[in-house]
Amino acid sequence: MTIVLAATAATLFAVGTYLVLQRKLSRIIIGLGLLTHGANLLLLGSGRRGSPPVIGTGEVGSFSDPLPQALALTAIVITFAVTVLLLALAYRSWLLTHDDEVEDDVGDRDVARAEILREEIHDQETAMTDGIVDPVP
Amino acid sequence: MSWLVPVPIVLPLLGAALSVLVGRSRVAQRVIGVAVLATVAAASAVLLVAVERDGTIVARAGDWPAPLGITLVADRLAVTMLVVAAVMLLGVLLYAIAEPGAERNHVGFQSVYLALAAGVSASFLTGDLFNLFVAFEMMLTASYVLMTLGGRREQVRAGMTYVVISLLASTLFITSLALLYAATGTVNMADLAGRIAELPPGVRSAFAVLLLVVFGIKAALFPLFFWLPDSYPIAPSPITAVFAGLLTKVGIYAIVRSQTLFFPADSRPDTLVLVLAGATMVVGVLGALAQDDVKRILSFTIVSQIGYLAFGLGLFTVAGVAAAVFSMVHHIVVTTALFLASGLIEQVGGSSRLTRVGGMVRKAPVMAALFLLPALGMAGIPPLSGFVSKFALVDAGIASRQYVVVGVSLLVSLLTLLSMIRIWTGVFWNPVEEPPADGPPDPGGRGGPLGMLLPTAAVVACSLGVAAVAGPLYALSERTATELLDRTSYVAEVTRR
Amino acid sequence: MIAILALFGLSGVLLIAFGDRLRHNAFIAAALAPAVSALWTCLQLDEVVTGGVVAEQLAWVRQLGLTVDLRLDGMGATMTLLVSGIGVLILLYARSYFSPDMPNPGRLAGLLVLFAGAMVGLVQADHLLVVYTCWEITSVTSYLLIGNTHTDANARAAALHALLVTSAGGLAMLGGFVLLAHEAGTYRIGELAGGTPPTGGATVTVALVLVLLGAFTKSAQYPFHAWLPGAMAAPTPVSAYLHSATMVKAGVYLVARLAPVFAVATVWRPTVLAVGLVTLVAGGLRALRQHDLKLLLAFGTVSQLGLMMVLFGAGTPEATTAGWVLLVAHALFKAALFLVVGILDHQTGTRDIRELPALDRRWRGVEVVSAVSAASMAGLPLVAGFVAKESAYAALLDASFTAADVVAAATVGGSMLTVAYAARFHRGAFLTPRRRGRPGPAPSPSPLLLAPAALLAAVTVVLGVAPAAADGLATAAVRSLDGTAEAVHLAVWHAFNLPLLLSVVTLAGGFLLAVADRPAQRVLAAGSAVPRADAVYLRTLHGLGNLARAVTGVVQNGSLPVYAGVILLTAVALPAATLLPSLEWPGWPSPGNVADVPIAAMLVVAAVGAATVRRRFSAAVFLGAAGYGMAAFFVAYGAPDLALTQAVVETLSTVVFVLVLRRLPERFERQSSSRRRVVRLGIAALVGVTVFGFAIVAGGSRTSPPVSDEMVARSVPDGHGRNVVNVILVDFRGLDTLGEITVLAVASIGAVALARVGRRAAASQAEPEAPPIEAPGVRRIVFVDVSVHMVFHVVMLASVWLLFAGHNQPGGGFVGGLLAGSAITLNYIAGGIGEVRSGSRFRPWTVLGGGLLLAAGTATLPLLTGGSVLDVASSSVELPVLGTMNLSSALVFDAGVYLAVVGMVLMAFEAFGDEAPIEASA
Repeated sequence: MTIVLAATAATLFAVGTYLVLQRKLSRIIIGLGLLTHGANLLLLGSGRRGSPPVIGTGEVGSFSDPLPQALALTAIVITFAVTVLLLALAYRSWLLTHDDEVEDDVGDRDVARAEILREEIHDQETAMTDGIVDPVP
Repeated sequence: MSWLVPVPIVLPLLGAALSVLVGRSRVAQRVIGVAVLATVAAASAVLLVAVERDGTIVARAGDWPAPLGITLVADRLAVTMLVVAAVMLLGVLLYAIAEPGAERNHVGFQSVYLALAAGVSASFLTGDLFNLFVAFEMMLTASYVLMTLGGRREQVRAGMTYVVISLLASTLFITSLALLYAATGTVNMADLAGRIAELPPGVRSAFAVLLLVVFGIKAALFPLFFWLPDSYPIAPSPITAVFAGLLTKVGIYAIVRSQTLFFPADSRPDTLVLVLAGATMVVGVLGALAQDDVKRILSFTIVSQIGYLAFGLGLFTVAGVAAAVFSMVHHIVVTTALFLASGLIEQVGGSSRLTRVGGMVRKAPVMAALFLLPALGMAGIPPLSGFVSKFALVDAGIASRQYVVVGVSLLVSLLTLLSMIRIWTGVFWNPVEEPPADGPPDPGGRGGPLGMLLPTAAVVACSLGVAAVAGPLYALSERTATELLDRTSYVAEVTRR
Repeated sequence: MIAILALFGLSGVLLIAFGDRLRHNAFIAAALAPAVSALWTCLQLDEVVTGGVVAEQLAWVRQLGLTVDLRLDGMGATMTLLVSGIGVLILLYARSYFSPDMPNPGRLAGLLVLFAGAMVGLVQADHLLVVYTCWEITSVTSYLLIGNTHTDANARAAALHALLVTSAGGLAMLGGFVLLAHEAGTYRIGELAGGTPPTGGATVTVALVLVLLGAFTKSAQYPFHAWLPGAMAAPTPVSAYLHSATMVKAGVYLVARLAPVFAVATVWRPTVLAVGLVTLVAGGLRALRQHDLKLLLAFGTVSQLGLMMVLFGAGTPEATTAGWVLLVAHALFKAALFLVVGILDHQTGTRDIRELPALDRRWRGVEVVSAVSAASMAGLPLVAGFVAKESAYAALLDASFTAADVVAAATVGGSMLTVAYAARFHRGAFLTPRRRGRPGPAPSPSPLLLAPAALLAAVTVVLGVAPAAADGLATAAVRSLDGTAEAVHLAVWHAFNLPLLLSVVTLAGGFLLAVADRPAQRVLAAGSAVPRADAVYLRTLHGLGNLARAVTGVVQNGSLPVYAGVILLTAVALPAATLLPSLEWPGWPSPGNVADVPIAAMLVVAAVGAATVRRRFSAAVFLGAAGYGMAAFFVAYGAPDLALTQAVVETLSTVVFVLVLRRLPERFERQSSSRRRVVRLGIAALVGVTVFGFAIVAGGSRTSPPVSDEMVARSVPDGHGRNVVNVILVDFRGLDTLGEITVLAVASIGAVALARVGRRAAASQAEPEAPPIEAPGVRRIVFVDVSVHMVFHVVMLASVWLLFAGHNQPGGGFVGGLLAGSAITLNYIAGGIGEVRSGSRFRPWTVLGGGLLLAAGTATLPLLTGGSVLDVASSSVELPVLGTMNLSSALVFDAGVYLAVVGMVLMAFEAFGDEAPIEASA
């Protein structure tokens, strides 16, 4: 881990975060892309730095740590695949709404206005009016 | 026996590949799907017996010793989860095949579903943290596809929330992996257990909390669960059943595994877990009360139930963890049953909104029973499995003098009962107010096509079975808990060369 | 005993499932189980009366101490007889009460049986958790029974009210039980009563209060009583059974079991006696105001339960005895009176005092039953109630605990009310209507309908005349509760003593109150000023609803940015908060090479650019630039494979991005409000700083060498490859790679599915020989074609070479596949999707599936030959061009990867690559 690398990664994280917290899916996707870049950079930085780890191209001691590279490679490809899927989602959303804005959840909006436990309260109220307990003579 | 360990992972993958190749024939695909999952279930059962008989079984991929290669570790926890998961996956697949609806006929459905199964198995079995990430991604990517298959507008909206949040979680997972490797130089779990102990205490606890958060997003702990009730209810019922029943539990599994295996007792965030657990219970159940759609109510209820699992874990005592493990089993089965039942309700009533359906107890008494039993189980009414789980948790909590969270859990279980009863009155008792929007006519009057009723009945039967065999099952959970909190046996088994 | 409970359960379930076929005869079938239980108990009686017990045990969850312990002693036998005997009578009554064509008779009968079973289990349980279990079952069954006519809002409300109140109490009780058991070390009631459990200390006090909460709610004590009158919405037989004779006694029963041991505890007597007396008086007052006979009885029940609470709660042997007599007497007369009300309602269609018609002499039978039972309720001599009241007074008068005389006085007052509403009942049911002389349509009841009530009344008389007959059972019962008790001798006549005097006073006062009805009513009307418990309940519901809305409205606001923000904040704040307090700074690492700085700068610029530009297209380009910056960083760090992969991936994803973006509007809309902007910036900064800090600390605290050193060492000898990264990918960590291509496959399936919804069903598996379709705006120039074709094939070759070479030099399946992908991209740019389709000889699905199958197959094969998954078999072979190389199963695996990646790219073009899509039908 070097300061430059950590700093770069941190910046990527910051910018990525900034983008992820928006409503346009394409911005969010770009943000996620930057975040994963940051993560992969950290992964790279988590290992020793050195010459390419190919046996016979130099003495073993000077190799860079191959394991984080393999992990990062896997991570990169996976992220690529999922990003493609996400893009398909954006594409679909555009077909449906001619926009890639992530709308808010409708159900949640309803809750904010709804009367909670409506049925139960209504029943109880009827019961207390019909229920002939203590009629005033 | 170690040759059997990878089977629950590779078999579904082969199935998925084949199912892609035979794309033109739905029948062939379905045969493959059912056959594979049945075999996986059987294999897992055999593994459970084997592990019970002669302890943890380790399989080394490519015959590489840990920590070089990836090790698959079949210990009690993994295998128990595996068996339950496999059975549920099979049941749901049968249900999904019978359920009318284009999504389940899509050329990709079977293969994606099998990929999901593979991912779930891998998550339980793997003994390597990065491989756990990969397993998660298999599972999640499959879940993205299953959720959005069909591409209806609300699906796309819910899908975006779901995918984006999950991707965020995955990124955080990679980040924590990077940091862990930077600090320890390994990703093998058993190896991590040893090397984390060498870190300074502050860093150790920080890692514990970081992993708690990362997995907490999947497990839907407060304040990380908000995405769940917005996305789960949108998916087709069988899919939601799998998501709610299994995916959240995989998250909890990861929390249990990482917290117990990686971190020595002094750096486990026990208080934090208990606080989050309490908050999750309360906020979840209040959310459930605020909904008037069956699937939304259920989604919030499972969130609040996740709190119970966390509560058990947070005690970090044998009794507590045992209770958590037992509760996981109970909860997977009951949740699946409830969502399958809610699918029936949609089928028969043409909607899942309490205001649109009603009077079902007359129209579909069988369905009523199939809902009421797991619902009461979820609410912890004795002698159903939920009671054993609730009692075990309360008992453990009081044993370690955590009176507050015990009180909360009891209060919340009353509200859980209320939210279940609201569904019951709304769907089965209330006279219908508005006519159902555009519901398909109920075939047979029993409540849904037989092909959907039978799997549901089977899963409900499983949930009753959990209560019936609660004795041995809890004994198993207790052994599991001891194994987990001891963690030397796990490390020894894995690192033995 | 377990067998009998099983019989209850089984017949209950069967009746619910199939009982409707029997129509109203289902109730006769239902009577079987209780009858058996009653008979069996009778057979055990002489055993029990001689102080013996019958016990059975069944293990459930041993580790948790959950065992089903059943134990039939004197008290248990008494309750079992009441529950089963009255059960039989009421079921027979129900047979003639309900019309043959009632809806779902089976369900009603079955639920009644299940309830009876739970009740029997409750009174035979010797284990607190078994008590709780049966307790909750009775709550649920009573919920379903009250809501039997579920189309009626009253019924639903009453059912819910009863369920919520009783199970709230139940849960408190459960907590109490567990606390108690942890203190006393046992769940066995017998051991608690027999032994000397701790009765002091905060924990025990809390435990007892919680348990009492359970008892009070179940036995409808003030202020939790309101659900009981509501429960009268249930059909009368149900009310007669659950809400007078049996279920409501559960709380009293529990108190009776615990009182002898815990009465000495400081909280016990004050709480129980106070609550009991308030209930006794308030219930009586309310009863006096009712016009609905059923409600009158309901409040009477509440009041009587209060008295029982007092007697059993007092915890002295004499009081317990009195409690026992009252319990029996009350069960008899109250059940009978409910049945009478049922008969009136059934025959005349009303149970309102003001509307009942005059009933002629054919109703004598009913009237006598009513008179006898009412008399017993009032405590007139020669009926059971008198004995109860006498012994109650006697017990309270010579009780020694503080304020015992106050309790006695209050009891006398309450009993006067009892006399008064007993009189009000009988007069309102028969005398007043006759005086009013308005004959109505009142067909006399069938003898079958009357018989059960008559039988109960007969027993009441027998006990009233010859109470000594019950001595044996009484003694056994009281001793089973309180070992110190002496033998019980019940008698009608003791002597001219204070208790007798009090009885006379009670009767006199009561009748006075009954005669002076009008003034009394005027006084009582003041009572309606007192806030009513069900109003409180309603307010609680409202409050709960508002709380739920408030909380949910805040946390669950449905907006993705908020969710993401909260998650990111939590993800950085919590770890940072744990890290900072106990931080030892490991010191700064090396700053890094100078060469890194420009790369870093380029990355940052690209990132910021991607974040700030307005055009979607330029944003995509910036993102791509960032990707290449990453590649540069990888090279600088000595990770060529990574750099290669990154570069190709970046190319492809930029292409896909552009393919999608060409559909989306060109620019982003204006930025949102500046306040939000600030919040976002804040979170972003926090994330960045935390990541930086954690990275430095984590990197600094590394102690041991990485595991990869050994991988490097064993790469060539055991991994048969010189490129360690590739060996790791396909050998050491092949499982990762397998999972990874699965992700590729699944993602591409999903992409195709999503992008092609609404096309013709077969679209997702387009035929290879589909006619090439012109991409919009691409004119085909021969020379471009030719060159592209040449390049295409060259690049394809190169990709294959990478695949083979990868094991030893940078390259491998991924990079190869991705390179092939970019070749296809070239093809696409030249000729559109048609070119792509004709370019690959197979359907994308086949390539994808084939690749996955190849990889998974190679992974699985070793299992069949007894090896472990992903075992690598290898042999070195002589190949043209590539020279001698090591052909291993790892290579086959890698080929699978290659194919999967190619398939993925083809799928991607299937998804996005073709003509402008049909508008989707949302």
